[in-house]
Amino acid sequence: MVSGRALETATALLTGAFGLAVVVSSLDNGIGWGAGGVDAGTFPFIVGLIILGGSLFNLVQGWLQARTVVLRANELKRLGALFIPAAVYVGVIPLIGMYLASAIYVFGALAWHKRGALLFSAVAAIGTALSLYVIFELTFQISLPRGALGDIMGF
Amino acid sequence: MENLEALMHGFGIALSGNHIFLMLIGVLLGILVGVLPGLGAPNGVSLLLPLTFGMQPVSAIILLSCMYWGALFGGSVTSILFNIPGEPSSVATTFDGYPMARDGRPTTALATAFGSAAFGALAGVILITLSASWVAKVALAFGPAEYFAVYFLAFASFVGMGGSPPVKTLVSLAIGFALAAVGIDTVSGSVRLTMGIDELVKGINFVVAVMGLFGIGELLIAVEDEFHVKAISSRVEWREVFRTLAHLPRYGWVLLRSAVIGCWMGITPGGPTAASFMSYGIAKRLSPRRANFGKGEPEGIIAPETADHAAGTSALLPMLALGIPGSATAAVMMGGLMIWGLNPGPMLFIEQKDFVWGLIASMYLGNVVAVILVLLTVPIFAALMRVPFFIIAPLIVIICAVGAYSVSNSYLDVVMMMGFGVLGYLFKKLHYPLAPMVLAIVIGDKAEDAFRQSMLMSRGSLGIFFSNTLVTTLVLLGAALLVLPVIWQTIGKLTARPRLKS
Repeated sequence: MVSGRALETATALLTGAFGLAVVVSSLDNGIGWGAGGVDAGTFPFIVGLIILGGSLFNLVQGWLQARTVVLRANELKRLGALFIPAAVYVGVIPLIGMYLASAIYVFGALAWHKRGALLFSAVAAIGTALSLYVIFELTFQISLPRGALGDIMGF
Repeated sequence: MENLEALMHGFGIALSGNHIFLMLIGVLLGILVGVLPGLGAPNGVSLLLPLTFGMQPVSAIILLSCMYWGALFGGSVTSILFNIPGEPSSVATTFDGYPMARDGRPTTALATAFGSAAFGALAGVILITLSASWVAKVALAFGPAEYFAVYFLAFASFVGMGGSPPVKTLVSLAIGFALAAVGIDTVSGSVRLTMGIDELVKGINFVVAVMGLFGIGELLIAVEDEFHVKAISSRVEWREVFRTLAHLPRYGWVLLRSAVIGCWMGITPGGPTAASFMSYGIAKRLSPRRANFGKGEPEGIIAPETADHAAGTSALLPMLALGIPGSATAAVMMGGLMIWGLNPGPMLFIEQKDFVWGLIASMYLGNVVAVILVLLTVPIFAALMRVPFFIIAPLIVIICAVGAYSVSNSYLDVVMMMGFGVLGYLFKKLHYPLAPMVLAIVIGDKAEDAFRQSMLMSRGSLGIFFSNTLVTTLVLLGAALLVLPVIWQTIGKLTARPRLKS
């Protein structure tokens, strides 16, 4: 279970860290008034300060609020069941390429939810990879990554 | 007259077989994303965007804008039949649309919604036809200071009127600005905010951002609750459709008022969602039958639907004439315009007459196509609601990944897209608005450039923003939009406190 307080705090920390990174990084470009007008770092610097300040405000606000539950256990489970396979899918693209990864992803997702319907899942998986090939490679001539495996196989 | 001639020329472009076909496809895909909860117009348009890179700009914009109309209509279908708003902007339609459909009058509810939606859209297109080239002409005289003032006005109205917590809106907006600044700075040529990653020199492409924010983010929100579809009969009785449409003029005053609210909210970037809620609220306050609201009152469907579509349509006016999108979807489309090599803004009306008037003509045609198609396909799309989520979800993830990759053949973009997905989920969950961030990603660096060019012209004096009546008015209006809601809120809190004690 996740409370609203935890989620608010985590998000505020995330945006705050980004703001800090922007502030520090923009110092390299110089801030203030230079020979060519307003220096390149000025605008990001101010924007970074706004993010940082706003995140601090949200952090305090989030911390002060009551500990209401915004994500129950079963919701969290459903969220994970979608996000983790999706993240793995994106993660393996450099290894096995987009076609194979997409096919395995579709097969896995369908076979998991509809146990037993293996033939249906396999057809859907092959159909996905084929339509990607037809739409992108043939119609729009965008070459999708084949991954390290594709390089080995010479595809 | 000049406008009418140009419009006729535009019809000549839009009425080709190829473009009619694209309209049909666009509207159908639009209804599809509108009907599917968790996907909406900005998602649909961003998912489709990579496929338009190789197209003629006018064909591409017809496809995307028709998808937008389709999504606006599709969102109302599920609001009325299932009490699930397919689009944020059709939430207000559920208040009276669903009760009416539940009481055994689904056809009446749908026809009322589509009829008033078409009226709202028509009002928006007529406004664009009559005023777009005039606005563009005025805008041609704009210098950097005027441009910055207009950008400032756009951002200020988002922060002030968005309805989300002001600090969260500000953080979302500022993150958008920072993301827009990544890469090569157009004024000085120096590289900014790449955090040591060389590939970021090309900047963060906004397609990558919107695919993650809207595609993956909304998916994660949608997966949390299982959909319980309580279906109402979705059969359309044609005789009832015509009877309902014939009765609509009786609500002329409501239609007109809602259209005006919608157009206003579309031009100032309030967006369709804010417009529909505002219109519903005002209708409820002013209607003699206000006790009936929430129980299936026709005015409660007409008001939000008209304003929703009027706002959605007129949001394209500032996008075309000034280069400032009036809604999140318009922001995504404007990003598309820039990718196709067009420069949104007043010069478009001089350099790209075919594009502008072809688009405007297609808006008339597209809305007619949308009304007909949506009526014909209601039963099919209603059945689609029963396709299990676990089949749709992986497909959307794949479309987002492939789409993000195809923008510039970069795997880093796919990873960043997933990151934006997590951010989009967190922001949506915690009521950070996403539209200001998208707006800032698309026009943030233009606003910055305008500011820095003004500063160069005035040698660092802020006086340039008060140097003539136009720019002063714009700046003061922006400041008022920024400050007034905060003051009202504070006054509201101060006056409410004593009452709590007693």
